[in-house]
Amino acid sequence: MAAKQETAAAVRDVEQYKYGFVTDIESDKAPKGLSEDIIRFISAKKNEPDWMLEARLKAYRYWLTLAGEEPAWAKLTYPKIDYQASYYYAAPKQKLASMDEVDPKLLETYKKLGIPLAEQAVLAGVAVDAVFDSVSVATTYKKKLEEMGVIFKPISEAVHSHPELVKKYLGSVVPYTDNFFAALNAAVFTDGSFVYIPKGLRCPMELSTYFRINEKNTGQFERTLIIADEGAYVSYLEGCTAPMRDENQLHAAVVELITLDDAEIKYSTVQNWYPGDAEGKGGIYNFVTKRGACRGKNSKIMWTQVETGSAITWKYPSCILQGDNSVGEFYSVAITNNHQQADTGTKMIHLGANTRSKIISKGISAGKADNTYRGLVRIGAKADGARNYTQCDSLLIGDKCGAHTVPYIESRNPTAQTEHEATTSKISEDQLFYCQQRGMTEEEAVSLIVNGFCREVLQTLPMEFAVEAQKLVGISLEGSVG
Amino acid sequence: MALLEIKNLHVSVGGKKILNGISLALNAGEVHAIMGPNGTGKSTLSNVIAGRDGYEVTEGQVLLDGRDVLAMAADERARAGVFLAFQYPVEIPGVTTSAFLKTAINAKRRAEGKPEIDAMEFLKLVKAKQKILGMPDDMIKRALNVGFSGGEKKRAEVLQMTLLEPRVAILDETDSGLDIDALKIVSEGVNTLRSPERAFLIITHYQRLLNYIVPDHVHVLVGGKVVASGGKELAEQLEAEGYARYLSAA
Amino acid sequence: MKQSALLVHPFGARYAAALPAADSARREARETLALEGLPGPKREEWRFTPLRGLAKIPFIPAASAEDIDVRDIPADVPRFAGAVRVVLVNGVYRADLSDKVSEAGLAIMEAKTPDHDVHAPLAVLNAAYMSGGVTIAARGVVAKPVHIVSIGAAGAEPAAFHPRFAVAVAPAAKLTVLETHHGLPGQPYFSNPVTTISVGTAGVLRRYVLVREDSEAFHLATTVADVAADAKFDAFHLGLGGALVRQEINVDFVGEGAAVRLNGAYALTGRAHHDFTTFMNHDMPNCTSSQVFKGVVDGESRGVYQGRLLVARHAQKTDGQQLHKALFLSRGPQIDCKPELEIYADDVKCAHGATTGEMDPDHLFYLAARGIDPQAARLLLVQGFLADALENVDDAAVHDILSAEISGWLMRKASA
Repeated sequence: MAAKQETAAAVRDVEQYKYGFVTDIESDKAPKGLSEDIIRFISAKKNEPDWMLEARLKAYRYWLTLAGEEPAWAKLTYPKIDYQASYYYAAPKQKLASMDEVDPKLLETYKKLGIPLAEQAVLAGVAVDAVFDSVSVATTYKKKLEEMGVIFKPISEAVHSHPELVKKYLGSVVPYTDNFFAALNAAVFTDGSFVYIPKGLRCPMELSTYFRINEKNTGQFERTLIIADEGAYVSYLEGCTAPMRDENQLHAAVVELITLDDAEIKYSTVQNWYPGDAEGKGGIYNFVTKRGACRGKNSKIMWTQVETGSAITWKYPSCILQGDNSVGEFYSVAITNNHQQADTGTKMIHLGANTRSKIISKGISAGKADNTYRGLVRIGAKADGARNYTQCDSLLIGDKCGAHTVPYIESRNPTAQTEHEATTSKISEDQLFYCQQRGMTEEEAVSLIVNGFCREVLQTLPMEFAVEAQKLVGISLEGSVG
Repeated sequence: MALLEIKNLHVSVGGKKILNGISLALNAGEVHAIMGPNGTGKSTLSNVIAGRDGYEVTEGQVLLDGRDVLAMAADERARAGVFLAFQYPVEIPGVTTSAFLKTAINAKRRAEGKPEIDAMEFLKLVKAKQKILGMPDDMIKRALNVGFSGGEKKRAEVLQMTLLEPRVAILDETDSGLDIDALKIVSEGVNTLRSPERAFLIITHYQRLLNYIVPDHVHVLVGGKVVASGGKELAEQLEAEGYARYLSAA
Repeated sequence: MKQSALLVHPFGARYAAALPAADSARREARETLALEGLPGPKREEWRFTPLRGLAKIPFIPAASAEDIDVRDIPADVPRFAGAVRVVLVNGVYRADLSDKVSEAGLAIMEAKTPDHDVHAPLAVLNAAYMSGGVTIAARGVVAKPVHIVSIGAAGAEPAAFHPRFAVAVAPAAKLTVLETHHGLPGQPYFSNPVTTISVGTAGVLRRYVLVREDSEAFHLATTVADVAADAKFDAFHLGLGGALVRQEINVDFVGEGAAVRLNGAYALTGRAHHDFTTFMNHDMPNCTSSQVFKGVVDGESRGVYQGRLLVARHAQKTDGQQLHKALFLSRGPQIDCKPELEIYADDVKCAHGATTGEMDPDHLFYLAARGIDPQAARLLLVQGFLADALENVDDAAVHDILSAEISGWLMRKASA
């Protein structure tokens, strides 16, 4: 059967080949725009097997049927995106020759965040020859992980080394038909991480803590797939507190998580992409589809996100709680300042019995920004004994911004219990004065109060990340008061 | 030169005159008490010295070591050594007392050109002071003032005062809402801070607190003015006679 | 708008042809209706309340059916002692069944044309085919409350009617209105009322609504209210029956210091569908709104609450609260809830809460331990759950009427 499909695919391929390649495969950059040729080019560049190319083309053809109709339900306004005006493949950027070439503002922020000098260079895109500690640490740990049976590699490599796993799971949680951006990603994704934790293994280190430097994926269209086999556990860190500059305005990542029986994945994100300037010019459009499937019983997926960057954030890390007794958790801090807009939240889909979910969302809006929590809690008819608890708090700083809460609660099971609470508040004059009376500057006071507001979420981050994230909260709100 | 000098201070709130020319001089080492009936401007005085928004100083000066306090932002005043123990300490959800204290201590240390306080040293210091004030160890792990009883809040204020070592400490109705045991503990905390380098301004409605913190000078504030000044016996007299005499005069 | 958002419905040319020539207001509305149609499932505000079933029924205008003859007020319509009773049958004012008005400060007139533009899809349908209605105006403190009784009935064919109610409370005036909706069994009928309310400066309006339509009936009601400075609008809505019921209430704050309380409850059995949709448009500073909605669902029914609360940039010091609590009585029903806050002002107090779940087993056990059998215990607890929602019904007589309606619902359920 599979063989038959492959043949059919090959025949289709040959037929389509007659339109020929318009792009030289040796080139570092595909021409602007999106077409089947571009997708073939990307696939060829990565030397992908036919089935992968087929999957991409299928997604692309589906995407075409959507006729440019992006989802319109989010509370976001941005100019129409011209998908033919973007580049979909480019070789890595030219490195800067030395630290002197780096934007001093960027370096100042690195300093405030307390990022070590060596890391700063890499983050800023400076070419470094010397092997510094963290890289060698990374190499050591990588070897150790391999010995334990952990597969942790770029997904483009996994396609070759573990095609059976990739075939089985890729697109199984976020199919290309899921939404406009997921279809686009499935067609053009360039790279991302692949993680497989074997049965019974508790991965002893936070993945990518040590790797964030040399395995940094700053691609436009990342694709991440993490599988925790029975009884396995892994904590995965994505992103970085350091501000990220990227010339590509459109980002559309897809992340899929799968937990089998008794497995657990903890996925933490800090997103600090370029938010645009104070007048709202520029900034990244970040359309992300993140979803985890708790397929096995007693399994658990926990999302923590700290979203401070991007001009537009459209992101709903979700959990499909299929296995009985499975648990989904979502902890979110979203900060918008100046002209940023964020529409973010989660979906908790309860299918199995005794499934539990918890949602803690903290939205902070300042400047002229809009910040929306949008969430869905759905209890299926078979989810006996399911439980959900949701707490959404919004904080407004100033009277030019907006904070919005749009929860959907849909229950079809009498034995399930859902509980949702939302509040809106501001930093009171009394709180500010109290802190100032104890000698803190206004900015220190705001940072302290907002960190307190976010505490429940920030404390779910791995230690090292948490400290930087706390500083980031303050930095993101600089200039928002007074 | 007096440590804190208030000269002919006139203050309005929303166009309404609250303080009508107050002059006071607090020398280092002195404890002054300001007494008066409700609504007479006692809290206005403490808020103006500490730099809260919403008060309009129409005339007069406040000087700390000869420096113009009114020209400074609230946080600058605090770092210069002005401490206000609030009548109603503010609750800040999620911010632990310990994080708050550390931030405040470091803000002051930075202004003094000192390095940030070491985490262990900080804990040791706080624990020692907490013990003196009869506070449970885990109190600093709780969110600042959130769910604190009235007594706990006031003790936390004194704890902050102890740690921040101000030049001038203003206690705004610190005795309100305290039972006798808490009052004793808080007063002891304050008394241990009395020193030749420091001055206190104690604002109170009742004489009760002054049994425990014995003032050098007592001033009666009525109608936004100091209508009488004297020694600690003045407080006792007020306790016995009430404010009627001054009210009718004003 | 996308075509998929529209619905092909029976209120087209055939429906219009059965009625006399339209006046200009109705004509204009029919043109809008032809363009905009009825909302389909892709319209966000209608996602939980599909109109597909309604659209499939070949309704005729109730006024054109010659085989409907209602001569009396049905016996189960509650009596509101001391109230001025105003009766409509199939959306047409019936002087013969109504009380004469002789109350100082109170004027009740028959409404003939859709005077107010109301921009909601069902209000457009109403304006296109308005069947009749009443206008109530209050000046000063009106001692006697008004009881509007709406009775629906179809003949051999399913019938629809579209009444209009206008309630105007003058500045500093006070009025209490009870509105009850009932119907006769038979072919399905569709009641599509629109109510426009204005409460003048420092005026007070208490409005109580009971929807207990026939189990086959459709009831889609749209209410729009303007509430002026320092005015109070206090409303309670009880939904106890109908195949498909929606009570949509939109409130505009047009003056400072206004206070609105919008409460409600529903109790559903069988395949009943009930939808509360509210919109609080806080466009003025210093206003308060509070909403508490409670529902119990049994059989294969579906309860919906959608509440949107919008606080404009300049509406500082707004206090807006929303709460929805739903109780499942069996396996099979469905609850959909969407409380929504949209806030552009920072000095506000806004919050919402929502819960779903079944009866607390501890409560049941407690009653069992006191010797109460499980069935009686459940009834008692349901009654308690709903009675709690009635707590803020200030008018004692109305409280009794609604309380009796809830008991009646429980008794019918127990005997079913």
